[in-house]
Amino acid sequence: MDAESYSAKGPQPRDGKAKQMEELDLESVIGRARGHDVAALEQIYRRYVRRVFGLCRYMLDSRESAEDATSEVFLKLQRSIESYDGSIPFPRWLLRVAGNQCIDALRRQRRGRQVIVEVEEGATVVEARSAEPSPLGAVMSKEERAQVRDAIARLPENYRLPLVLRYYSELSYDEIAQQLDLQRNYVAALIFRAKQELRRKLAHRSK
Amino acid sequence: MECYSEQTCTIFVDGELTVDEARRLRDHLARCQRCRKLVDALRAENRVLGESLHELPEEAAGPVGFPRLRLSWVWGDLAALAAVLALVSIFFAWVDKLRIPEALEWLNPFSANGLTNLIFNLSYNFAHGGTVMLADYAAVVGALFAVLGGGALLLGRRWRLHPPGLHLLVVLLALSLPSFALERRHGEFVTVAANETVDDTLLAAGNTVRVEGVINGDLLAFARTVEVRGTVKGDLISIAKKTVVTGSVEGRIYTFTQSLDLSGQLGHSIYGFAQSLRVDDRSRVGEGIVAAAGDVSLEGEVKRSVDMLLSGNVDVSGSIGRDLSVSGVSPGRSLTLTNTARVGGNLSARVRQLKDVHIADGATIAGKRDIQVQVRKSHFTRPRFYFHQAVWLASAMLVGWLGLALFPGFFQATTQAVGSGWRSLGLGVGVLAGVPLVMVVAAITLVGIPVSLMLLALYLAAIYLAKIWVGAFLGRMLLKPSGVTKRDWMLGLFVGLLILTIVGFIPYLGGLVRLGMVCLGLGAFAWQLYRASRPTIAA
Repeated sequence: MDAESYSAKGPQPRDGKAKQMEELDLESVIGRARGHDVAALEQIYRRYVRRVFGLCRYMLDSRESAEDATSEVFLKLQRSIESYDGSIPFPRWLLRVAGNQCIDALRRQRRGRQVIVEVEEGATVVEARSAEPSPLGAVMSKEERAQVRDAIARLPENYRLPLVLRYYSELSYDEIAQQLDLQRNYVAALIFRAKQELRRKLAHRSK
Repeated sequence: MECYSEQTCTIFVDGELTVDEARRLRDHLARCQRCRKLVDALRAENRVLGESLHELPEEAAGPVGFPRLRLSWVWGDLAALAAVLALVSIFFAWVDKLRIPEALEWLNPFSANGLTNLIFNLSYNFAHGGTVMLADYAAVVGALFAVLGGGALLLGRRWRLHPPGLHLLVVLLALSLPSFALERRHGEFVTVAANETVDDTLLAAGNTVRVEGVINGDLLAFARTVEVRGTVKGDLISIAKKTVVTGSVEGRIYTFTQSLDLSGQLGHSIYGFAQSLRVDDRSRVGEGIVAAAGDVSLEGEVKRSVDMLLSGNVDVSGSIGRDLSVSGVSPGRSLTLTNTARVGGNLSARVRQLKDVHIADGATIAGKRDIQVQVRKSHFTRPRFYFHQAVWLASAMLVGWLGLALFPGFFQATTQAVGSGWRSLGLGVGVLAGVPLVMVVAAITLVGIPVSLMLLALYLAAIYLAKIWVGAFLGRMLLKPSGVTKRDWMLGLFVGLLILTIVGFIPYLGGLVRLGMVCLGLGAFAWQLYRASRPTIAA
């Protein structure tokens, strides 16, 4: 999902003027923000705060920590935006920054230890192909989607983090591996296992 | 050719296979229906995952769902307050007739008299029923908030404390400030010498405050020892360890002191909270005495009635013009009227045992003697008790609902902050003990009085809300609701409050639980306020 389609779900502009503001060219806003223009930074905040907060909320265990991490991301943005070179879309870059912020927060909680530790069985996954159709693919309604979110929230951290970084932040396996300090193959295995676990949880729920 | 593994298909669908592998898999898909189906299912899965995640949960709808206080607002309010104070002072100096009639002054909590009255009432309640009474006070404030919030909702406005609202509040508070001439003296030893006359109200703070001369206004004294040897023509308001009046006070005495010794003349009444209260045989009280005191000795003359609200030993050997009523005599303490005692009206006493009352044969009591032995009946046997609890629970639920409706982010975050356990508890103990201290310190300065009162309102409201946050947290912990809808929250709150209420009635343990609850909730609230006040670039 790209930035524009997301922002359509963001805060609805209250009047025509606000709408005009929303539609201002992102590039020029970023340019102004680089020059420490407070109004531009505020505009970026308004536009992306929910998306960044969403990521933090999925990655961290409490709303409070998520709010802290979100604040940090936007406070640091005044400096970090200078390092944005435009090679990737801005929302993806911002979510990468936010992901790093969350991982830092998790590391601090663990007193500097790695967030996800690779274990022996590594990348090999011995799992038969399931004959039944995935319960995930059949999800249609809003309530069912809420159930999916709930199941994701209850996944163990080592499954949840790569899954969220992949399907919310839309990072590549390489980027996730870099953020979590893991092997690329291991990331692929974790995402695969996360989905299997999710299917199990949802199948259990629908029975 | 053998089919690809599900994991490889997953990686393919994620677009993460190498170019060669992806091409080979695509070739395979063209021939293999089974793998095609799997890949389609995995694509559908990815779509659902993306959609579900991007449709943020309800609680994430407003990451900063509560107004964040910003420093500029605070400065703005202070500036507004200063401007209003200046205007009000000029205004009152100009139209002096608009002052509140003096007889009603004690009702006005924004006047020095009223404040003392308020402090006295609060202190009495602290001593009488501890945190239960405090919670009752807080319930009144809570109900007020509920009425205000309900009214705002009825009017169809989602009321929030925006800066204009805050300004209005500050202006209203500032407008209710009285203006009077005030002289201040600070120091280790503050005296008004025998040949000195102070024409204004004197605010004196020090180790010892001694008045040998004349004060034409009131005397507000905060000291270790306050001695009035001369004359105070207005009221004496003393917060001191020891208060001694050997001279004369023509107004009233409001006191919060360890010991009050009166051996001089008093024009009107004594209102006080003292560990020991003595009116000696040389003294004369022009009106009556209303006090809560540990040990009371009345040897002099009191023209009107004496009401002892809470007392230890009460010895009367002097004369009381009208009624003497004594209630709340502590177990093991007694009421004694000696031969020289004289009561012009009725004697009424509430004691635990009849043998606690000693009336000498020579004592004169003109009116009726009404001595009642109080037997504590269990409140569980009264239907009224259950009715009160139901009302209590319903109002707490209403306040909780309002909190969720008006400040969802703040309410939920504070509830979560309760879960941090020791941090909340520690912070809560600090706030519970520290805020009254800050209030007293702030109230010493005249400008600080509105700040102190705002703090008091916030403090009481927070004490009331504490149980709601802790209840909501407890309910959610026990029920572990899967959703985050308002209904889940309200159900959790109901269960939590019900448990807290029931546990609160267990002897001894209940008191501890209530205290813990107040501390946890206050701590969580303070933490949230701290977080909310941090600078942010929030729009």
